[in-house]
Amino acid sequence: MRRVAAAPAVLVGIYFITLAAALPLAAAIGFGINEHLGSSLTANDVADSVNYDWWQEFVSQGSSFTLTSTFTPSILGFATTLDSLSGLIDKRPIVPAIALALGFYMLVWVFLQGGILDRYARGRRVGAYGFFAASGIFFLRFLRLGIVAGIGYWFLFAYVHEWLFAKWYVNVTRDVAVERTAFYWRVLMYAIFIALLALTTTVLDYAKVRAVVEDRRSMAGALIAAIRFIVRNPGRVAGLSLTNTVLFLGVVGVWALIDPGAGGSGASMWAGVLLSQGYILARLIVKLQVLASETAVFQRSLAHWGYSAVPISTRPEPPVVEIA
Amino acid sequence: MRWTFGLCAIAMALLLSTTLHGSQRFDQPAPGARSPRNANYEIDVRLEPRDRTLHGRERIRWRNISANPTGELQFHLYWNAWRNAESTWLRERRLGGNSTTPRPDAWGWSDIKALRVTLDQSYDLGASVRFVAPDDGNTADRTVAAVSLPRPVPPNGTVDIDVEWSAKIPRPFARTGYIDDYYFFGQWFPKIGVLEDAGWNTHQFHSGTEFYSDYGVYDVRMTVPRGYVVGASGREVTVTDSSNGTAIHHYHGEDIHDFAWTTSPQFIVLTRTFTHSTLPQVQMRLLLRPEHAGQAARHFDAAAATLRYYGEWFGPYPYGNITIVDPAFQSGSGGMEYPTLFTAGTRWIAPARVLAPESVTVHEAGHQWWYGLVGSNEFEHAWMDEGLNQFSEARVDDVAFGTKNDLARRYFGGFIPWVFRDIPVKRQVDEGLAGYRAQAESDAEATPSFRYWPSTGGNITYFKTALWLHTLEKWLGWPTLQRAMSTYFDAAKFRHPEPAEFFQNLNQAAGRDLTPFFDEVYRGSNTFDYGVQALTSTPAGTGHFRTTVVVRRFGEATFPVDVLTIFSDGSKKTERWDGVERRAIYRYDTKVRARSVQVDPNRILMLDVNYTNNSRTLQPRAREASVKWSLKWMAWLQDVLVTYAWLV
Repeated sequence: MRRVAAAPAVLVGIYFITLAAALPLAAAIGFGINEHLGSSLTANDVADSVNYDWWQEFVSQGSSFTLTSTFTPSILGFATTLDSLSGLIDKRPIVPAIALALGFYMLVWVFLQGGILDRYARGRRVGAYGFFAASGIFFLRFLRLGIVAGIGYWFLFAYVHEWLFAKWYVNVTRDVAVERTAFYWRVLMYAIFIALLALTTTVLDYAKVRAVVEDRRSMAGALIAAIRFIVRNPGRVAGLSLTNTVLFLGVVGVWALIDPGAGGSGASMWAGVLLSQGYILARLIVKLQVLASETAVFQRSLAHWGYSAVPISTRPEPPVVEIA
Repeated sequence: MRWTFGLCAIAMALLLSTTLHGSQRFDQPAPGARSPRNANYEIDVRLEPRDRTLHGRERIRWRNISANPTGELQFHLYWNAWRNAESTWLRERRLGGNSTTPRPDAWGWSDIKALRVTLDQSYDLGASVRFVAPDDGNTADRTVAAVSLPRPVPPNGTVDIDVEWSAKIPRPFARTGYIDDYYFFGQWFPKIGVLEDAGWNTHQFHSGTEFYSDYGVYDVRMTVPRGYVVGASGREVTVTDSSNGTAIHHYHGEDIHDFAWTTSPQFIVLTRTFTHSTLPQVQMRLLLRPEHAGQAARHFDAAAATLRYYGEWFGPYPYGNITIVDPAFQSGSGGMEYPTLFTAGTRWIAPARVLAPESVTVHEAGHQWWYGLVGSNEFEHAWMDEGLNQFSEARVDDVAFGTKNDLARRYFGGFIPWVFRDIPVKRQVDEGLAGYRAQAESDAEATPSFRYWPSTGGNITYFKTALWLHTLEKWLGWPTLQRAMSTYFDAAKFRHPEPAEFFQNLNQAAGRDLTPFFDEVYRGSNTFDYGVQALTSTPAGTGHFRTTVVVRRFGEATFPVDVLTIFSDGSKKTERWDGVERRAIYRYDTKVRARSVQVDPNRILMLDVNYTNNSRTLQPRAREASVKWSLKWMAWLQDVLVTYAWLV
């Protein structure tokens, strides 16, 4: 956590990118709402509280698999988290506009991860130039790794998920007449699937950490090294994953408790916005903490605390300096 | 010419009186009974859990209460809807978008092994049973069987029919079947159709509609493994243990038109007595699944609220007992009504502020009135039971549980609920307007229900009806509507009323002819949409403002609406617009500027599919609202982004 705290610009930058990825679509939704409400008196209700009647009418104006169709009560408070987590592990289809935003957002993450890991690996300021230079150095390597990751995730979601939920779960619960029993089965399926996802992301994370810390160009080699690292340090890796999971659950738990719901207008609305943005910030901290802590664990195991093989890139002096 | 006109008038009056008095000439109660009791059953049935079969014998004592003799008998064999993939039920299910092929062990069927009728003598007609398909001519459909009689049964004549049959119990279809050791049996025995004055009204089993049968006395003995709990229509008479490890449960029900039963060794049996100062006492029996043991009070409270409010509003529940069945998970048998017995339905996690299991319990208990006691034809006029009941249920939900009805959504495979504390569910709009809006023009309500488009019929049957009844409640007032419904209930109970009878009651109670309204909501499929086209209020000379209001009818359907203009000093002008023309323009010269205008400000017309355009203000807040909600939505999208970012 110290490394994350020591690099606030990374957090702020990532937060603004998350904001920027969401803002255009939010503006589109807002434009739609504004159009639909027009000069009606209904807008008073909608501004001051929840008018579920209007809500349903608004959604009915859009087609079934468009941005408007995502404007459901799940956008309120803690339901957002339940909805997004459930959407991911239940493999719910994503509407095209959001898929596009998601693709862009993930690509930006892939680009920035080199810089982020480099910054955390060094544990000291590298400057904007150094940060983006590292991002650029590792971008193509991580893209190659991303292809491997994509294949892994595709296999997990297209085959393993299908097998777990559409086949195994359906078969074992087909004759189950007690909901609680079916739920336990479902939890088991989730546990297996999440464990596989977690294992995949952990391998990929350590592959990236290794590539950055040791300046490796071969992503296949990085993957193998990551697996070897995990196998040799199972306790440390698992312990760290567990700690990070607890941190994640803590953040989600606090969010559930402070859930601002729909809120009213004016100050109450802005308070809700601040709380929700605070939560997003906390989720990003958790994400960055995972990367930072994995970097630290990897470096500690190699006795290279704060070591990174890539020299810090510095901005070249402008020609005028040379002349002088 | 005048003579011809007079004859026509008499003929019309006769026709109308026949229509209003139902479709069977002799549908008066039998001596000492509440109903005609013209379809009486004595049934012996044995459940074989090992091969999931039923084996039964029944004697039907049937009386022809139509105006005409019949030389044929028709029977429903509903379970044959799952005999093959080409049954009308499965064809319609596919038409509605569900193309799932039942698994090999899911099928079910009914086979008549023997059939004898006793008229002047006994005739063995087993070999002459044939299948008919009066609705669509589908030769693969075996849900209606017919036999020709050696001689006709005259009006008021009686025939005894002895049937022996066996049936394969399906995996749950249409709320009947088995899962694990839970069994629910609906429409499980060969059941005689309804002979009306116009002929047999024996429809095939359709995927979107339910049932229709005559009233009678049911005396049923069910043999099940010992230790199994049984719940059934009617009242338990005896339970006799047999030496072969089975027990015979004997039930008896009078003046009912169907018989359903359930059995499972898992049920917890609980009872509570409903008492009321003016209504008859009712023994409530709850068969509860163990995992819902903590929800007994919620079931009882909802059933008691129904017995109370339906009893007070429409008429008393006469049977003295009612059985509430909590169905097994995945049994597909939840939310279904049968005489004196119904299935509710709840979840393992059932938040207190969400009206489940209450709403389904009220709904199905309410069907004891609109289906059980008033035996409308569910094949043809499903709205007469479902729609009336949807409306009535919403009133009970509101009156009895109004403050604890918040919206909830379920996540993680539907197991985990989340309650939205700031979205209370309002009965008039939130329970159905969205569904109706989406399918408003799919079918006219007057279309026979079994001909509705399979996947959208429910929105017309349930929600459109409930919405126009809510409209009538707000338009005419609850006392008037309640009087109309209770009068109708009293006149139609233990009979098969036609829609005209209901409409006539409403006209009489309202003291005016509501036909134009029924033409719109019942006979047509047009939508209502009134709106404000323009509102201007500009200075017009010293100290005066010229205000112009333009309102429009965007939908085809018409309804009288008020147009309310409010001025900046709080003064109001209300215009009554008949809503027939496509537009109306109102002009006012006032000392102050107008602030807003609203069409149908009290929201009488609950069927208006676009209420947002009903108002306009000169101080709009749409921007503020859109900022608020787009920021909410943005936080949701950010959450999605951050969640998926875990993968990179």
